[in-house]
Amino acid sequence: MDLNRPASPLHNKRNRKTLAATAIAAALLLSACGGGAAPQGAEQAAAADPASGANASGAVNICGVKDASGIYKGTAEAFTKANGKVTAKYTEIGATTDEARTQIVQRLEGKSTECDLFLTDVIWTSEFASQGWLLDQTKLVEANKDRLIPSTVETTKYQDKYWASPFFTNAGLIYYLKDKVAKPESWQQLYAEAAKAPGNAYVYQGKQYEGLTVNFLEMLYSAGGEVLNDQGDVKIDSKETRDVLNFMSDGLKNGSADRAVLTYNEDPARLAYESGDFGYQRNWPHVYRLLNATPLASSFGVAPLPAWEGGKASGVLGGWNLAISAHSTNQAGAVAFIDFATTPDWQKHVAMDYSQAPVNEAAYSDAAVLQKMPFATELLASVKGAKPRPISPVYPQISQAIYKNVYAVLSGTASTEDAVKKMADEITTAKASF
Amino acid sequence: MATKTIVPGAPPSAPSNAPRTNARDRAERRLAFRMTAPSLILMALVAAVPIGYAIWLSLNQYSVRTAGLSRFVGLDNYIAALTSQEWWAAFGQTFTFAAFSVTLELILGTAMALLLNLAFKGRALLRTVVLLPYAIVTVVSAITWQTMFQPDLGLVTNVLSALGLPGGDVVWLGERGYAMAVIVLADVWKTTPFAALIILAGLQVISAETYEAAELDGASKWQTFVHITLPLLRPAIVLAAIFRTMDALRVFDLPFVLTRGANGTESMSMLAYGELRENRLVGEGSALSILTFLTVMVVSVIYIRFGGGNIRDVAKEEQ
Repeated sequence: MDLNRPASPLHNKRNRKTLAATAIAAALLLSACGGGAAPQGAEQAAAADPASGANASGAVNICGVKDASGIYKGTAEAFTKANGKVTAKYTEIGATTDEARTQIVQRLEGKSTECDLFLTDVIWTSEFASQGWLLDQTKLVEANKDRLIPSTVETTKYQDKYWASPFFTNAGLIYYLKDKVAKPESWQQLYAEAAKAPGNAYVYQGKQYEGLTVNFLEMLYSAGGEVLNDQGDVKIDSKETRDVLNFMSDGLKNGSADRAVLTYNEDPARLAYESGDFGYQRNWPHVYRLLNATPLASSFGVAPLPAWEGGKASGVLGGWNLAISAHSTNQAGAVAFIDFATTPDWQKHVAMDYSQAPVNEAAYSDAAVLQKMPFATELLASVKGAKPRPISPVYPQISQAIYKNVYAVLSGTASTEDAVKKMADEITTAKASF
Repeated sequence: MATKTIVPGAPPSAPSNAPRTNARDRAERRLAFRMTAPSLILMALVAAVPIGYAIWLSLNQYSVRTAGLSRFVGLDNYIAALTSQEWWAAFGQTFTFAAFSVTLELILGTAMALLLNLAFKGRALLRTVVLLPYAIVTVVSAITWQTMFQPDLGLVTNVLSALGLPGGDVVWLGERGYAMAVIVLADVWKTTPFAALIILAGLQVISAETYEAAELDGASKWQTFVHITLPLLRPAIVLAAIFRTMDALRVFDLPFVLTRGANGTESMSMLAYGELRENRLVGEGSALSILTFLTVMVVSVIYIRFGGGNIRDVAKEEQ
């Protein structure tokens, strides 16, 4: 084969026939199950013009996950009212995060113009950007940078450009029962305190899924470990990874952490904790409101994620960003919406009306916000110290390699040594598939 | 003896006493073909074409970077799958699940059908109620089972603890073996009514005269069951077994919700889903889907060859 010739599938008759046949089949398959390959490769997307928002008009359709708290619809309505020229509408396209991702990928792959803006989970940025699906928001982010917390902006970065604007953020917190256990100062102290009595145990998200990756990375980052370095080399095969894995599995053996965490994602962990049989819980900020409605309301406290003794705490960021579709027909309207959604004023509403973590630092010290969210100071500490999850277009595979192998160690089916080697191998293979 | 009853799975029966000529036979066959042609074409479009396309995809490698551009790699994806630990683990786990769940469903389904076949007041209502678990969306029932087996909070674990039985302090979904047991239980709970329904249809085909004759011959209840009911029920049971096995070998939602495949519960479908949808590795994922499809097909052919022949035999006997 001539390697210098561009690989065109149209270079001979036979291939053209095959292509036509596959195109028909693809259309059928795509309409039947929505899977399959994209009709195009990666291409260079245009950039958003920060000034364009001022003269925008028309309609903007924002698409994303089911709006449980009403924040998306609420923001769209408030924007429409405040702007006067652009009308925004929120369309739910998936009941769960996974389902929303599938739906978004389908629309982006199919160059659909239905949605101008997509609500994207922070871990999707590099994958979507690498496919040429998103509008480059570098100029817009640069223009708004002074109102955004730097760690939240990092989640929108891929290859030195910004591909989305943060809308609200999220960081892990430790909930603790004040009458049983002390406020956590370090992971060692938390685990030691939790082991003192069965009722003091620690619960977290240890099921084999994305949440376990997050729980593990929070400890790994605090220990100074990393998955990929800035050049993208695999760095997970390290002493820090082994130390954290041993610490976590010892914790399950000596009763610091309840063994049931092996089956917990966010909600089961919260429900178990509400029984009052545990001392500590790692969960997201939304749990604060729910715990307040239980008999534990007067006895629980909130703390940022601890550091290792003598080290610095470093969590993992969650949250949702606003990405403009490369095929949007109203990019100016989308820019206007992002401008509105990230204003310091609206970010206060994000906290007060919807209990989500703002991406604007000033909001956390606002008196009205503090009244609704008394743990805002702890939350800000967690958010500012947090780092993004490994930035890579093959993040889903990297995360899978992490949670499957971490789970194998925690459930006792693999040794730390074997799991670390396998994790590094699988991450290297995943990177090679891109 | 009833001659017009339809046994599930039996071919439509032609009046057998009229002698037929070859010409008439051929004409009938031509007519049959013409009448079924539209549906055959439709089937080809909705089933054969996507399957053919999936086979084509499985022979190619797509990287995430070049979503639309593929490289023909022949059987590489299959070789990679068949030499991987993951595929054989999923293969074994899926068959373990299918063996346990289908066996239990057939035994319980037969018992349930016998019960529902008795004449008693409120039978119609009970028949409807019994079908309820089957009507519940699997994902919803999976979440319910997950909650019931949760340590500390779960209904099952609490009841076991309260009664002083073992298992109250087991993290059911977090241990190998136990996790599979919960998934089998959830499936049995949900689909036994379906097996019962098919077997009940088979039961109602057996004529009352057969039983009367047995009674006259002085057969005991047990003898009647073993020598009359069970052999006559066999086609229905085989049919239920085929349906249930095919479903069980494609199982996805229960392990996906309950364990995400941890603790030895990852099924073949979950493996394919992971590559196709989560990792967007179209070639590898398609190869895994085709392998799953072939596995289900081979098992179905074995069933029809060794069990399905009896469906026709019994149908003939009935006439």
